Amino acid sequence: MTGTIFDIKEMAVHDGPGIRTTVFFKGCPLRCRWCHNPEGLSGEPQLMFKSARCKGCGACFIPCSHEDCKPFGRCLHVCPQNALEIAGKRVNATELAKELIKCAEFLGDGFGGFTFSGGEPTSQIEFLLSLAKELKGYHLCIETCGYTDKKNWQKILDTFDFIIMDIKLADDEQHKKFTGVSNKIILENFETLKKSKKPYIIRTPLIPDITDTADNLDAIKSIIADSNWEKIPYNAAAGAKYKMLGMEYKL
Amino acid sequence: MISNKEYFKFYVNHEQRNLRHKVDWNLAEEYSKAGLNLKSRMADRFYRLCKEEKPIILPDEKICFVRTVSNLPDVITEQEKDELGIWDCINNLALDYYGAIDKGLIEMRKTADEYAKRDIDSIIMLSDKYLEEAKRLGRNDIVEVLTQVPRYPARNFREALQFFRILHYAIWLEGYMHNTVGRFDLNLWKYLKKDLEEGTHTKESALELLEDFFLSFNKDSDLYRGIQQGDNGQSMMLGGIDKDGNDVFNLLSELCLEASYNNGLIDPKINLRVNKNTPIERFELATKLTKRGLGFPQYSNDDIVIPALQKLGYDYEDAANYTVAACWEFIIPGNAVDIVNIDGLSYPKCIDIALHSSLKSSANYDKFFNAVKKEIFNEAERICTTWKSGYKLPCPLVNLLMPGADYLKAKYNNYGIHGCGISTGADSLAAIKKYVFEEKRITPDELIDAIDNNFEGYSELLHLLRYEAPKMGNNDDFVDSIAVLLLDTFAESLKGRKNECGGIFRAGTGSAMYYVWMADELGASPDGRRKGEPLGANFSVSLFAKTKGPVSVIASMTKPHFENVINGGPLTLEFHHSVFADDDGISKVAALVRTFILKGGHQLQLNMVNTEKLYDAQKHPENYKNLVVRVWGWSGYFVELDKCYQDHVIARQTYTI
Repeated sequence: MTGTIFDIKEMAVHDGPGIRTTVFFKGCPLRCRWCHNPEGLSGEPQLMFKSARCKGCGACFIPCSHEDCKPFGRCLHVCPQNALEIAGKRVNATELAKELIKCAEFLGDGFGGFTFSGGEPTSQIEFLLSLAKELKGYHLCIETCGYTDKKNWQKILDTFDFIIMDIKLADDEQHKKFTGVSNKIILENFETLKKSKKPYIIRTPLIPDITDTADNLDAIKSIIADSNWEKIPYNAAAGAKYKMLGMEYKL
Repeated sequence: MISNKEYFKFYVNHEQRNLRHKVDWNLAEEYSKAGLNLKSRMADRFYRLCKEEKPIILPDEKICFVRTVSNLPDVITEQEKDELGIWDCINNLALDYYGAIDKGLIEMRKTADEYAKRDIDSIIMLSDKYLEEAKRLGRNDIVEVLTQVPRYPARNFREALQFFRILHYAIWLEGYMHNTVGRFDLNLWKYLKKDLEEGTHTKESALELLEDFFLSFNKDSDLYRGIQQGDNGQSMMLGGIDKDGNDVFNLLSELCLEASYNNGLIDPKINLRVNKNTPIERFELATKLTKRGLGFPQYSNDDIVIPALQKLGYDYEDAANYTVAACWEFIIPGNAVDIVNIDGLSYPKCIDIALHSSLKSSANYDKFFNAVKKEIFNEAERICTTWKSGYKLPCPLVNLLMPGADYLKAKYNNYGIHGCGISTGADSLAAIKKYVFEEKRITPDELIDAIDNNFEGYSELLHLLRYEAPKMGNNDDFVDSIAVLLLDTFAESLKGRKNECGGIFRAGTGSAMYYVWMADELGASPDGRRKGEPLGANFSVSLFAKTKGPVSVIASMTKPHFENVINGGPLTLEFHHSVFADDDGISKVAALVRTFILKGGHQLQLNMVNTEKLYDAQKHPENYKNLVVRVWGWSGYFVELDKCYQDHVIARQTYTI
């Protein structure tokens, strides 16, 4: 079983209890305008060009014979500044699990567990579940937008020990406008989560004038009631990576 | 908090510098003509300086003594310096201040030599000037303290602190610097404990006094004559075990962490001895201080350091009493006159020589490594046979505070040698092993030509070596095992060698300032490092190694056999300030530090950095006068550093959330 990830990060402080390693899955069904991980949106590997490093030598435009460079039309193995990187690589669940466990075993009882983030981990549900199976016995946490069908959602609840779920906008029209999809499934899934007795936390990114309005926050509060709720401050540097991917930051 | 007090602001704004004057005495000529011996010259200069000094006591200030003479005229002529092969007084020692505080100088005088006696008389003369000034100002509290100390033993915590300050001040005035504070909580707890029991102090009043005392380390630190401001050796050791194996950490240790946090100043630099039994709560307390952004505490692991020092020949009770000299070099208080930093060996340089002499003729990697090994042994031979101590200027006060030994004939007279550029070395050898010998993707000629031309015309090779090759810091045995072998080889190369005093040579993992100096004399290296780029400081991953994060770095960096390389030299981890934003972040960093200790790491320093702020500070230094960073084994004010040291701090890998 293989899947596409774009990063592995050790000691991610805000991704669940204890010292954790976080795996970032590539691909997301939402298109939140404020997304600070744009390389997580598409499910395919993408060329990231770090223009601040580029000194304009042009070496990467000289045709090369490397197999992995072909899809991108640029040579990835020549930049003296390492300005070109590929976001996203195909990995095998068993091998990835082996690598992750190496780190966990090193930490011993100081290890908190693994967190799957993205992108949206449920967008690669088969890969996600097979990776989780390989890591059985560890504390597993997922960071999800909750936008996945009921059947998959139930599997997520059965598999993970801790759920970090976003509720960004309470109003469906607003949700469609700013994330590209309806929040209907998300709110239904939240109800299932609430009943499941699974430990969870709800997160809302505070985007000025969009999610960070009294109306929206009050409405979310009335949906989630006394659930644990974290409001995440807007990341002013969120737009930085768009240009590297040749994408436009719309905020 | 004393930071609200006027005298705190006075010193933090460096206003004491306006009270200073220079003396233009030509003592060297005078002494030389008179044919005075060196000890006599030191005692005479000390006397004259004590006479010249003016007492300064600021309102509310409890711990006094600040320098008003800013320079120390030479006691020997340039010609004598050359003839006698003298650089300076010996430095980087852990003197036994605490024995003196317990005894009083009158008692010490009875057994002191002629010169130390003169010094004691000078100290008392100066102290009496302060006493008179205190009387004039109606400061009865200070009058009471100075009537007792330094003549007689301290009777309480405040007297002990004032006594320490006087000794520390005196020893700088005699010209000896870089003297570590040593095991402060172990030695002074008894005074505070008694005061608390008798009710003369509360926890709060003790903290305030301690803050005042900590401030005193910042009064004269600008007079340090070393390489960079801040590298002045005022390191304080807290915690650890005593010789019976008891945990030393006490309320005073805790108050020290708190005072350091409250003051937010670079001195004293806090060190913490820990071991596998140290409770997680203590790591959390210490991590709160890390959050303050001063680059300390620095941790040393008793479980590793004590047996390693024993293996080098230190007696158990001495090893168990270790502290750090100045930065991180392990030293024994009171009886070790080790020169812990006499030189450094550069792994990249040894590899570079072997690359040019033997790569083409080596049939396989093992043969090539043997050539590297030979160069390490050659370099060790060069260092051990050429370096003779130039610390021959005697210092009567040092003699006084190193009981049981003239400081040139002490119980331990070992020399320490730093091992520098470990990651550049290990990464270089890993690249050679993988690409030249295993995959045969690069020919020896190609590699040598690329190195000699600083990778001009070799952009694909540079990319491969620099960005795609295995690097230390990823828990990859392929490269980590090479680092282990390099360190063992270095240790082996020093084994059995004796220095001029009959002591041994200790191998270490530090770099001190050599990470800049040694890089300057080196060309490009096979790890893809370009000519002119610095090496990693101390025991750290290369500046351009990509790692998954601090856990893999710790996994890589705890593999070596530190019992063989225990001169000192920490792993440095830089964390982005946002990691410490909440208590959860603090407890995670604390757990990581504990992991490092449990996995057998020897020494660790953590930096909290904000790269954006550092860039801005380079542009607008006037706005960042008090911005502190950890440099190589000490914390300093960022804007006061030379640019090469500033750039190095910025270039280090920062772990974010």
